Amino acid sequence: MAKAPKFPNPAFWRAKDNINWKAQGENLKEVGGIFWDMLKATDWKEFGQKTVDDFKADGQRIKEEYADFMALSKDEKIDRILNGEKSLGRLYRKGAMATVRREWRGIKDTAYDFYEWAHMWGMLLMTFSRDLIPALNSALYYRWMISYFCCHGFMDKNIMGLRGSNLRMSHLLIYDIFRYVAENLVFLAKCDKKNGNSQELNKKVVLFDEMTMGQIMAGFPDLLGIPYQLMPVFLVSEIDQLTCVPYIDAVESYGLPSDTCPVPSSECGALVVDALPHMGSCFISSSMPCDGSTMASSYMARRFPDLPVFHLCFPVRYEDEETVQMGAEDIRACIKFIEETTGAKWNWDAYFTQMKRFNEETAYELQKWEINKSRYPQLLGPCYELFRKWNYEMDGGADPRTLKTFQKVNKILLKAYEKQEEPWPGKMKYRAIVWSCPAHYYANFSNWAANCWGINVLVEMESLNFTKQLETEDKEEALRDLARLYERMVMRRHTNGGYQNVVDELWRQCEAWDASLIIMYQNVACKNMATVQGVLDEQGRQRGYDLIWVEHDLMDPRTVSRRTMRDKVSEYMRTVKQAEPVDPSLVEFEDEVCM
Amino acid sequence: MKDLKHLIYFESLLENANNELIKQAQADGQLAIGYTCFHVPEPLLNVDKCFSTRLRAPNTGSIDIATYYMSNYTCEYARALLERAIEGGYQFLDALIGVDACSMMNRSMEHFELLHVNDKPGFFVTHCDIPYKIADYTLDSYEKQMRIRVLDRLTENYGVDTSDEAIRKAVAEHNEVCKIISEIREMRKADNPVITGYEFHVIDLVTYVCPKALILPYLRETLEELKTREPDPKPAFRARVAIVGSEIDDPSLTKLIEGCGALVVSDRYCFGSTPGREVIELNDDEPALRQLCLHTMQVSECARYISDEKVLQRRETADKLAKEFKAEGMIYEQMKYCDYWGFERALVSHIMHDEYGWPVLSIDRLYNNGNSGQLRTRVQAFVESLEIKRIHKEGK
Repeated sequence: MAKAPKFPNPAFWRAKDNINWKAQGENLKEVGGIFWDMLKATDWKEFGQKTVDDFKADGQRIKEEYADFMALSKDEKIDRILNGEKSLGRLYRKGAMATVRREWRGIKDTAYDFYEWAHMWGMLLMTFSRDLIPALNSALYYRWMISYFCCHGFMDKNIMGLRGSNLRMSHLLIYDIFRYVAENLVFLAKCDKKNGNSQELNKKVVLFDEMTMGQIMAGFPDLLGIPYQLMPVFLVSEIDQLTCVPYIDAVESYGLPSDTCPVPSSECGALVVDALPHMGSCFISSSMPCDGSTMASSYMARRFPDLPVFHLCFPVRYEDEETVQMGAEDIRACIKFIEETTGAKWNWDAYFTQMKRFNEETAYELQKWEINKSRYPQLLGPCYELFRKWNYEMDGGADPRTLKTFQKVNKILLKAYEKQEEPWPGKMKYRAIVWSCPAHYYANFSNWAANCWGINVLVEMESLNFTKQLETEDKEEALRDLARLYERMVMRRHTNGGYQNVVDELWRQCEAWDASLIIMYQNVACKNMATVQGVLDEQGRQRGYDLIWVEHDLMDPRTVSRRTMRDKVSEYMRTVKQAEPVDPSLVEFEDEVCM
Repeated sequence: MKDLKHLIYFESLLENANNELIKQAQADGQLAIGYTCFHVPEPLLNVDKCFSTRLRAPNTGSIDIATYYMSNYTCEYARALLERAIEGGYQFLDALIGVDACSMMNRSMEHFELLHVNDKPGFFVTHCDIPYKIADYTLDSYEKQMRIRVLDRLTENYGVDTSDEAIRKAVAEHNEVCKIISEIREMRKADNPVITGYEFHVIDLVTYVCPKALILPYLRETLEELKTREPDPKPAFRARVAIVGSEIDDPSLTKLIEGCGALVVSDRYCFGSTPGREVIELNDDEPALRQLCLHTMQVSECARYISDEKVLQRRETADKLAKEFKAEGMIYEQMKYCDYWGFERALVSHIMHDEYGWPVLSIDRLYNNGNSGQLRTRVQAFVESLEIKRIHKEGK
């Protein structure tokens, strides 16, 4: 059997940089000046006092934790040591940007957790060391790069409260996402004309609008497709809730109304403040997922007028099979555009190979769904939610290592199912479904809901996308299938093409997953969802579901804070369900500035 | 200037979606086909025994029920239509032709179905998929959508003749309206025009909402009247402005702007004359439907078209119109909560100023604006700034 080619293509790493050292020196001087100004502006007395206060608070916390532990009975102490702590609200402190310490999960799980923590660090260091100077130099150009230094904290938040198999599976899944991010951060740095300036690599880079799926690149194995705004805007806003605030402010100062969706707003704002690397041979813009995203492409063209652009435009009424051919033809035109712009040739064999892998991954995904639909769901929590979206949207079978992760995870999953494990031990009270798009700045909301109230989110709307096995033999049908896939991208399948896709579909999914509680996200700027809120509310009540409406502003926590989001759930649970929290320490805590 | 003979009558036709001429046409056995969006080629809805009426919600007050269904941060036009529909204001319609061009309007129309706002036998709502750019394959799809979702539905439900011949006949009648409106529009180029922006807006609007055959006699007469109309010796306006942007079906907005000392000379917005009142030239070689679809795609100025050439076309059209009609400044406007025009206005209002050299007033507005004091203040300030610019220019 032929050895599978390495991923990512080693030629991408080998591409030579052309760093303008004089420009780097000037930038360093400018950044140094900013640091100097910050140092001068700092109130050192206040800083010293704050440090002392933090030490005191730590001392007080340790004292309390010790007293709490000593007050436990012998059996409880053993349980605490073996199975971990129960009051997770203690990990937060007012005014702190990170949790005060890592979670105690019991001896075995804590040891495993630290192993994965170190594993992640190792991967990050190894990846960055592949081209260290431009990779680190990015931090001197882009503030979003600093947020990535806190990715371990993000991982910790997403696995809070997890134990046993669910913890192991979640670690495996999030590792793959971080590896993808780390590799692409290095590629961004290498390509950026202000930084690595690798002309060799730039010739091979095709930029995609951040929500545009990457599967089309399967036919171009010698090219590198990068979702352009994913790292600087989209994903980082999940890691650091405050990242997009300057972008949003910038574009609203420019004149954009504040009622537009924060995704395209932030992207446009990033262009206004020059927070995106200057790179690539061409740009594939997209009409998806919604009206606001469609319009952001003209801002891109304005910022980079010399970058050739192809506008990938898919039918909105995608369930109408009469429209599929238009989508397929647009893909054909896009392939032709990439060929003409880069000189590369579309390779059907490479395409079919990747799609076969993607089909296999889809089959594994469906296996997860089947288990989560059962009375013993096993893989829950934000790591899985993020992985599903990333795999469907960005990876799409490109990376053979991801398939191995699928295999490992599903092996653990089946064993855990046989043993009837609880993914949130002692917290499996309500079967829930999440509908509409979740807040980026609260990626671990489902984690909080499970830990605090025992609300177990079995699946979220954005995971429920296209699961058809894609055509891997007939070329014409393959293009049509690719169009069908793209049309059902994350955030689009449900919100476009008719109310049935989001309203009727919700009731169908509630039945399929045996979920009676619905976390109904209400992105205050999402018009697609806002325009069905009355119907959802009416029909949900008629069907007897618990609908908890949770407002958020996707990437702007100033409009609706995390705390306000939690309060909506807590109020409903207290007043309507007359429930008691599983972990009372998580009902009230401060995380306004916590990343 | 002497009042136009039919102006008050025209205004009365705009007072109610189900106006006198619509009632008259329906009494004659004709079918009222409602629509909102320019992406539906208007003549298609005027074939055989059908007549088109572009939906408005005149005198909208509270939109609380629609807000319950569609939330309070969505397009007021879409909500106003739903509110009016729930009130029974569109019960007269025989069909509603929707396009899935913007999500809010699409949802509004979906609520027509969901809430069963029209119980007329045969009434149907259809939703068409509309392309974002012009290419052979997008035209193919557009044509197919119009055939399947519009024409075939009319035939199935009402036995309407949608043959090539019927379409060509509808285009001929449509062109007659367009010729009259175009001729009247040309009069606005004069230094001291014989028609105000408000009057033109009213005349233009009635052509969208009334059956073509019934409004044509009034239009012909008005055109003749304008040809001999004497303008005021001293113009009442202090500056000429062009309006560019999203849907305006409320002439009181034009009245408000003109009440601030401006003369609106150009109307590049939805329900305006550009696009919408261009004569459609059909050849005999290709099917009328395909030609009509291509024409609509080409002249559309909708911000939804994202291909580079259409983006440039929108800017060039705004610039060309403003120059031709001797505007001194532009008002870029958008309906509040409109995503397409929200992005477009924010960016292009800068571009028109920085690259095309136009003084620009950039505004977002509600569906009904006739009494907006805030808007009035902004327009007054803009008019003053244009005056000052003119004085400076003349002084040089």
